[in-house]
Amino acid sequence: MDKRLALILSEVFRLKEKEINIALTKADVGSWDSLKQMDLVLTLEREYNILLTIPDILRMVSVAGIVDVLREKGVALED
Amino acid sequence: MVALVTGGGKGLGLVIAEHLLSNGATVVVVDRDRDALDALPTSVFGKCLDVTQPEEARTVVASVVKEHGRIDVLVNNAGVIYNEPLVNIMKPEGIMHDYGRFREAVTVNLDSVFIMTCAVVEQMVLLRTKGVIVNISSISACGNEGQTAYAAAKAGVNAMTVTWSKELGRCGIRCNAVAPGFIGTESTHQALSVDSIKHILQNTPLGRLGKAQEVAQAVATVIENEFINGVILDVNGGLVI
Repeated sequence: MDKRLALILSEVFRLKEKEINIALTKADVGSWDSLKQMDLVLTLEREYNILLTIPDILRMVSVAGIVDVLREKGVALED
Repeated sequence: MVALVTGGGKGLGLVIAEHLLSNGATVVVVDRDRDALDALPTSVFGKCLDVTQPEEARTVVASVVKEHGRIDVLVNNAGVIYNEPLVNIMKPEGIMHDYGRFREAVTVNLDSVFIMTCAVVEQMVLLRTKGVIVNISSISACGNEGQTAYAAAKAGVNAMTVTWSKELGRCGIRCNAVAPGFIGTESTHQALSVDSIKHILQNTPLGRLGKAQEVAQAVATVIENEFINGVILDVNGGLVI
């Protein structure tokens, strides 16, 4: 799991970094609602200097989905 | 004392109705839920009414006055918590707040208070009743994320409360509001996630959700104290949102 991404996700969702893993989904995180999704998108765009589209955002409902979208945007992430 | 409680068929409204009953009032409940009305204690009078319908409201209020002589207290409790953020980027069919749902939430939570107060105050003025209007507001009136329509409606309720306290004082009619924070009712648990409730508890100085009975006690207080007028009484354990 990429450490920088794990830190971002832990801060957005107010989770501990060790709780962030590739299998985590929206259904697992009680605080992951549409407002948090907005926080997530804005944070990722700022941190990685990318622009996310609505289809991208709709795929970002799991950590695996987020990783896929970021990689497609050219973001280098550790496994 | 004759008290009319809107949305009093169940939940917080029923607790308020029962509290006023225990204080010796004659209590009439209006609710659109016929099943809830059928389940009311026999000592509470029930009438079916959609409080968003002005003509229906006038007819029902007139019938209550005919049957019980007057209405001394109106508790505008009917309302529905509605959550929808202004922007929902997870809703591809339209990311912005639905206007129809905005209107619905405002109609149920704000227009209904206007409609019922008009119907009841008309009777109070005609019969020279020195009555009390108690509006059930909410902590969300000061703005709560994810609740554009509900917060706007409740802020409107607060504004009407203060306005009416100024206008109706000359008739001896008082108007106050009770603004609950997060109360441990079924509707709260339905509207909020477990995480949200945990967050609320962490930020509430008293560290717990409120009880419906505590809101009912506040309603009774603003009714009984004849010098309380134009007050929005917070019942929220010290929580600031």
